[in-house]
Amino acid sequence: MEINAQIALTVFMGVLLVAVAAWLTRIEDWRSYSSTAGGVVSQGERSEYIEQEKPAGLIRWLTTVDHKDIGILYGIYGLTAFAVGGLMVVLMRVELATPSTTLVGPALYNSLMTSHGITMLFLFGTPIIAAFSNYLIPLIIGADDMAFPRINAIAFWLLPPSALMIWAGFFAGPLGLGFEAPQTAWTLYTPLSTGSAGGSLDPAGGAGIDLMLLGLHLSGVAATMGAINFIATIFTQRDENVTWANLDIFSWTILTQSGLILFAFPLLGSALLMLLADRNFGTSFFLADGGNLLWQHLFWFFGHPEVYILVLPMMGIVSYVLPRFAGRKLFGFKFVVYSTLAIGVLSFGVWAHHMFATGMDPRLRASFMAVSMAIAIPSAVKTFNWITTLWNGRIRLTTPMLFCIGFVSNFIIGGVTGVFLASIPVDLVLHDTYYVVGHFHYIVMGAIAFAGFAGIYYWFPLVTGRMYQATLGKAHFWLSFIGTNITFFAMILLGYGGMPRRYATYLPQFTSLNVIATVGAMILFVGQIIFVWNLVNSWYAGKRVESGDPWDLKRDGVHTVEWQWFDRKIETAITDGGEEEQNAVTDGGEPIDKSENN
Amino acid sequence: MDENPGLSDQYRKASPWPIFIALGLPVSEIGLVFDIFPLAVGGLLLFCGCIAGILLESNYAKTLWGPVLTMIAILVAFGAALLVADGYTEIGLVTRAYAVFASAIIMSAGLVAGKLFVPKQQASV
Repeated sequence: MEINAQIALTVFMGVLLVAVAAWLTRIEDWRSYSSTAGGVVSQGERSEYIEQEKPAGLIRWLTTVDHKDIGILYGIYGLTAFAVGGLMVVLMRVELATPSTTLVGPALYNSLMTSHGITMLFLFGTPIIAAFSNYLIPLIIGADDMAFPRINAIAFWLLPPSALMIWAGFFAGPLGLGFEAPQTAWTLYTPLSTGSAGGSLDPAGGAGIDLMLLGLHLSGVAATMGAINFIATIFTQRDENVTWANLDIFSWTILTQSGLILFAFPLLGSALLMLLADRNFGTSFFLADGGNLLWQHLFWFFGHPEVYILVLPMMGIVSYVLPRFAGRKLFGFKFVVYSTLAIGVLSFGVWAHHMFATGMDPRLRASFMAVSMAIAIPSAVKTFNWITTLWNGRIRLTTPMLFCIGFVSNFIIGGVTGVFLASIPVDLVLHDTYYVVGHFHYIVMGAIAFAGFAGIYYWFPLVTGRMYQATLGKAHFWLSFIGTNITFFAMILLGYGGMPRRYATYLPQFTSLNVIATVGAMILFVGQIIFVWNLVNSWYAGKRVESGDPWDLKRDGVHTVEWQWFDRKIETAITDGGEEEQNAVTDGGEPIDKSENN
Repeated sequence: MDENPGLSDQYRKASPWPIFIALGLPVSEIGLVFDIFPLAVGGLLLFCGCIAGILLESNYAKTLWGPVLTMIAILVAFGAALLVADGYTEIGLVTRAYAVFASAIIMSAGLVAGKLFVPKQQASV
């Protein structure tokens, strides 16, 4: 590096450190004097209790260790990443509307594909689950906060730098930093990712890959810190009334997921550091004979549990929300918990089904096929329990309920197509085709994202104190449901036709189905624009919820703990002279008001 | 604790340290991996200093000096490990080791300055 740049960086770091130290000193003053300064507590305002415990304004959000605030931060972060990853794939699908390259060149396509995968799994999927669990778990289990509130904040704040490092390659080109966005796909298979030209000079992204490895490692550290926190919280911070026997289904799934994270993410972290060392420090973990297979084993030992890390809590949300709008309790609660635990255990015995085509020992392959098939059993137990919960229930098709039912529907298609892939002979035919892409998108978009939407709509009034616009919510659902099925079913058919995945171009005979998939993706895109508009607009200008039971849960005797907390909060606000606004309408709560259709 | 109320006493639900710990870690990682001396030193100082701060704030440590000393010891050990590792690879690790030592030296200077100049009542929380 040039001397001038070194000096500039030194000055910059010096100024940064002095600024940080000065700011921390100011906080020292602020905490010394604020107790007598007054003005912190604004009497009569509904946020009084918050201001006693946190500073005001932007500083509150930068320094908060409150689980609810951190949950909101996770949510905003996750949805921002969802928008970025979504825009990436819109570009890719537009490119795939024609067989040849028109809009996006092969290199950019590969970069977009790599970042889309990593963004959706690590920067959207895991954080959006943390949003729900941070906000809700302490409320539901009667804890004051998380067991380690500061660790909780550190875990969140590691994520923004992690995202910047993962996306760094996209900024590096325009800034003239001399490296590109990685083109390795999210699986980072060696030898492509080890750098064919040695060190950081490889054509697949150069230092962009190193930064992505560091960013992924950071996000893994964050996830592990969060998992330890949730395990400690659920084990030690429960209210005395909350026993293992009556622990709710969402907490069970978060506990299981945290266990999976605890075993899976440190292994990913180690593998990433080994790859980083191969690329930069002269080691040869993955350069020797068998190194490529070793990477795949290590990666998928993490990679497959990661699927369950993402889907189990979402199944928890569906198990939690779906019965509320079926007018009954979850059917077979115990068996849903047992299935969650069974999936958690089995998820560590299926990883090599991603590697059937690598030429591994056939006897090993058979055992992985057997365990992969076996995991269908607890998954089916859950599915049948959801369906049985709906059976003869008093069903209210609110937006969260629609997304829950959409989850079950898409999960069945995604799950059944997965059972076929678990079979070695079928997998050898369909491996690396669009069938695989269609299958896992039915799960990650059709199921995981749908459950996320269900959760966001269901708890929107709890978090914001306002109601979303119901008609827009339903438009979001139908556009998402139709878009998902058009896009990903077309991909399954493309896979049957033999179209390979991960290419910016394709043979002309695949054009029709690709156009259909692109149309489906555009429908999805429109749906998500409506979602973002609805969320932002309703947060600022939605009608205030004045009932502590906006979903009319008391009628069925399922007014759960978090809504009781909300009820008390609203009662306090009204006593304090909360703002007078028009009553909120419930999305499906009874009676249904005409103004719901705003 | 009672004599010198900390941030967590006034604002129980706030702490200034996590965001800087989360900033220090990636900056030091980038500095060490890409061998960028100022980033490595600055990042390590930010990371280690803020860990000492958060330990004090959350009452895991009674004074600032214990955690800072521990951090210095870890940095020295890490720098020494890098120097040893340098003999086993063709990649130059010496400047990275010096960056780690530089952080340890600056932290030591801070420790000495704090011991000499910070009044006792504020120094021990």
